[in-house]
Amino acid sequence: MENKQHTPPNLARRFLLAFLRRDLAEEVQGDLDEKFLSMLRKTTPARAKLQYWYQVLQYLRPFAIRKSTTSSNHYAMFRNYFMIGWRNLAKQKMYSFVKIGGFALGIAACLLIALFIRDELSYDLHYPEGNRIYRVVEVYKDHGETERSVWMQAPFATAVKADFPEIEKAGRYNSGELFGAGSNQIRRDDRMDNAYEEGFVFADQELLEILQVPMVYGNLAHCLDQPNTMVITKSKADKYFPGENPVGQLMVVNDYAKEPFKIGGVIADFPANSHFNFQFIITMKEREFGRGEQSYWGATNYPTYLLLRPGTDVKQLEKKLLRVTEKYLLPLWIEQGRTDAKDLTKSIQYELQPIANVHLRNAGIEDPVPSHGDIRFVWLFGIVAAFILIIACINFINLSTAKSANRAKEVGLRKTVGSFRSNIINQFLIESLLFSLLSFTLGLLLAWLFLPYFNVLASKSLSFPWGEWWLAPVMLGSCVLIGLLAGLYPSFYLSSFKPIQVLKGNISRGSKNAATRSVLVVFQFTTSIILIISTFVIYRQVHYILTKDVGFDKEQVLLIQGTNTLGDKMKTLKDELLQLADVKSVSVSDYLPINGTKRNGNGFWLEGRNKIDKSVSGQFWQVDHDYVKTMGLKLAAGRDFSRDMASDSSAVIINQKMAKELGLTDPIGKRMMNWEAYNIIGVVEDFNFDTFRSNINPLVLKLGNSPNIISVKLNAKDVTTTLASIQTVWKRVVPHQPIRYSFLDDSFSRMYDDVQRMGHIFTTFAVLAIIVACLGLFALSAFMIEQRGKEISIRLVLGASLENIFRLLTVNFVKLVLISIVIAAPVAWYMMDKWLQDFSYKTELSWDVFALGGAMAVVIALITISYQAIRAGLANPAASLRSE
Amino acid sequence: MIETRLGEFEEVILLLVGILGEEAYAFNIAEEFESQTERAVSIGAVHSTLTRLEEKGFLTSQMGESTAERGGRRKRIYTITAYGRKTLSSARDFRIALWKQFPGFATGS
Repeated sequence: MENKQHTPPNLARRFLLAFLRRDLAEEVQGDLDEKFLSMLRKTTPARAKLQYWYQVLQYLRPFAIRKSTTSSNHYAMFRNYFMIGWRNLAKQKMYSFVKIGGFALGIAACLLIALFIRDELSYDLHYPEGNRIYRVVEVYKDHGETERSVWMQAPFATAVKADFPEIEKAGRYNSGELFGAGSNQIRRDDRMDNAYEEGFVFADQELLEILQVPMVYGNLAHCLDQPNTMVITKSKADKYFPGENPVGQLMVVNDYAKEPFKIGGVIADFPANSHFNFQFIITMKEREFGRGEQSYWGATNYPTYLLLRPGTDVKQLEKKLLRVTEKYLLPLWIEQGRTDAKDLTKSIQYELQPIANVHLRNAGIEDPVPSHGDIRFVWLFGIVAAFILIIACINFINLSTAKSANRAKEVGLRKTVGSFRSNIINQFLIESLLFSLLSFTLGLLLAWLFLPYFNVLASKSLSFPWGEWWLAPVMLGSCVLIGLLAGLYPSFYLSSFKPIQVLKGNISRGSKNAATRSVLVVFQFTTSIILIISTFVIYRQVHYILTKDVGFDKEQVLLIQGTNTLGDKMKTLKDELLQLADVKSVSVSDYLPINGTKRNGNGFWLEGRNKIDKSVSGQFWQVDHDYVKTMGLKLAAGRDFSRDMASDSSAVIINQKMAKELGLTDPIGKRMMNWEAYNIIGVVEDFNFDTFRSNINPLVLKLGNSPNIISVKLNAKDVTTTLASIQTVWKRVVPHQPIRYSFLDDSFSRMYDDVQRMGHIFTTFAVLAIIVACLGLFALSAFMIEQRGKEISIRLVLGASLENIFRLLTVNFVKLVLISIVIAAPVAWYMMDKWLQDFSYKTELSWDVFALGGAMAVVIALITISYQAIRAGLANPAASLRSE
Repeated sequence: MIETRLGEFEEVILLLVGILGEEAYAFNIAEEFESQTERAVSIGAVHSTLTRLEEKGFLTSQMGESTAERGGRRKRIYTITAYGRKTLSSARDFRIALWKQFPGFATGS
């Protein structure tokens, strides 16, 4: 009898009843109870319960499952909802267009930005051991200023690998143009013609092992372990050795046939989302740039990467790395006689930067990587995308609630014939889903169509991920989610109508929610105005930079690059160029006032004070006699280099900043030094030789040989013919090398490509936001005017002018836009002030930008509304009044 | 169209209904099936077959009495119809006819 205490599992029983046909419930439950009891007699209660579950599940058969009459009714109702939704859509073409078109635009913008963000976030994630790879960052604290850079000393890698067991591998590269990395001429040793190539770098075998670059030919473990070997990428192998295995072949760099490089391996090209862009990797094995360079702790030229052993505490290791300063740097400083050696050790620390952070989280770290992303922009773009989507959603909400009056009777009738509120909510949610589905389809198409343009805009090479498995579920998921979100408010609002009131006809025709709608319109316009103002400010800054007096003359300067192979022919070329009519002057120097040309940091003192004073760090540029003239630098004092003065070989020209830093008020004739002493013969006015993000640094010009770039100052009315004659000269003097040239002003403006790109992207999205917002405003004003049709007609009959009507209809909307301006201005000011802080030279954030942005918003809004307003004012009042 | 031929499982269930008479309801038939054939079967499977046989017209059913074991719930008692009997016996005859033609077993009875 104790069996009586056990009952069949409750959950199973409830589950059974949930699906079982009602008419079977009694007999089946009875049978299963009997079975349960008989099982209890035979076996344990647990098994009996399990058996009960089994029996319940066995009833999941077509004959026993309830075909609920309600579900077939549901289906019919769903069909009805779809049909009504579709009819509404088809009936009100303008509103549907605004809803769907705006939505689609928003979705397309979001999609494109999402692709952009995904690409930015995917940088450097493809290394097999990526989570253990770190880049060493040196943190130098000086006078409260912190500088971070990634260049380490040549022996740093080997030293830390030997000293710290946590470090499994350490590898470096050197991409300094000074050493011959960067761009060079190259050819196969069995060919004559040189070709210009970029992406040369010196690197350790171990760096490739750390990155585990995929090999096409050769063995990763031995591709750079012999002296004078080189690894090239697949695309370069295909170019120079089409259809053959280049391993073991020889290549000649810069026509220096005495020391060719043997190809030790071919690697797959670095993907676009890698911060490396090397093409030709020359081994560091037994290579020294100057005697003892590889063991010298006084120069930093090598970005260094570490592969840590699994489970290493990175923070701990960063602290331990401090010993490097004590062990290797301190002795050097003491030897150099630095009195502040002890303090210096305290100013240096090390950080380990995960390789995945290099692309996006690199703020404040100086490195040789040509372009970084910025995590802030990734966020910013994400936010902009979200706002555009929200603006589009608001259109949907506003129009749905505004048009509610037209649907009110339908809701009333549905309720009267027995709809629950939940049915009505369902109906409108389904309608919203229908819109969302249409918009997503359209948005997807739009995004796909515009992707090529977006790629140009953002200088990316994104492709549409049609083939990827996640696309369909993500799209469908977001489609449903956004459809539901946008439909939520309208459906609750519409379903709240009381049938009796609605059917009697005294629903306040859509005006009840005017306040909510106003708030939403204000939100839309605030966002749009912020974007407009930001765009203005960015453009202004770009314009300011590009037209600011930089202190040198960047117009009509032709740069001929890759001339280091010329050797003796340099003089011939220079002379022949000077004979051309339109050439004013020719200068040979690699150091130009644009980014990406040679730089060379040095410490300077007044003569004899190198052990007493702190050094003034400045650039030390090797130029020729014609440099000042060709670049159009202005001499503030003293004279230019002269060919007649033999003593000028140990003379320098400095810039005003250097004079100031050295504390010289009258520098001419004074002497200064780095490792040698020089006579100061001239002072040039400060000119910008870095981007406007930084201040002008101290600079020293000295006569010297740096033969990579020839600058040609032209005075040509017709640049094309001059170029042609220059090319002819080049062909005659240098037959085996194609000419490569650019213009100084182009190179200069390319320095601000990223800023201009920002500007373009912002404009695009600002325009998009405005379009979507205006679409909404357009539809909303149309609706308002429709509502007030009778009122307007009566006014017209009583003698109102078109102007009266226009004012009546627009004043409310203009008020909303004005409120938006008031809200948007401070927000935009704050944001742009932040952005401008990146620049040392910046345009003023003046009131006119805000006025202009605001005025634009008002004008655009007015134009949008006025079409409807004027149409209403011109309509024949009789037509509207006759109908009742 | 309703299928009128009998499957093997259907035939056994039909026979069991005949054997059990007044006690022919799903649970009991399933138990009887298990004890006679020593094959496991779920009540749901039996119930499903019974319903199908009823649709074909081989069985009729009505609600019987209730017991305490069933929590006071009534059971559905199945009875064979004349058509069901006829189909069963013609199935048997057909088989016997086949057996008779089978040389190794054709013993004549």
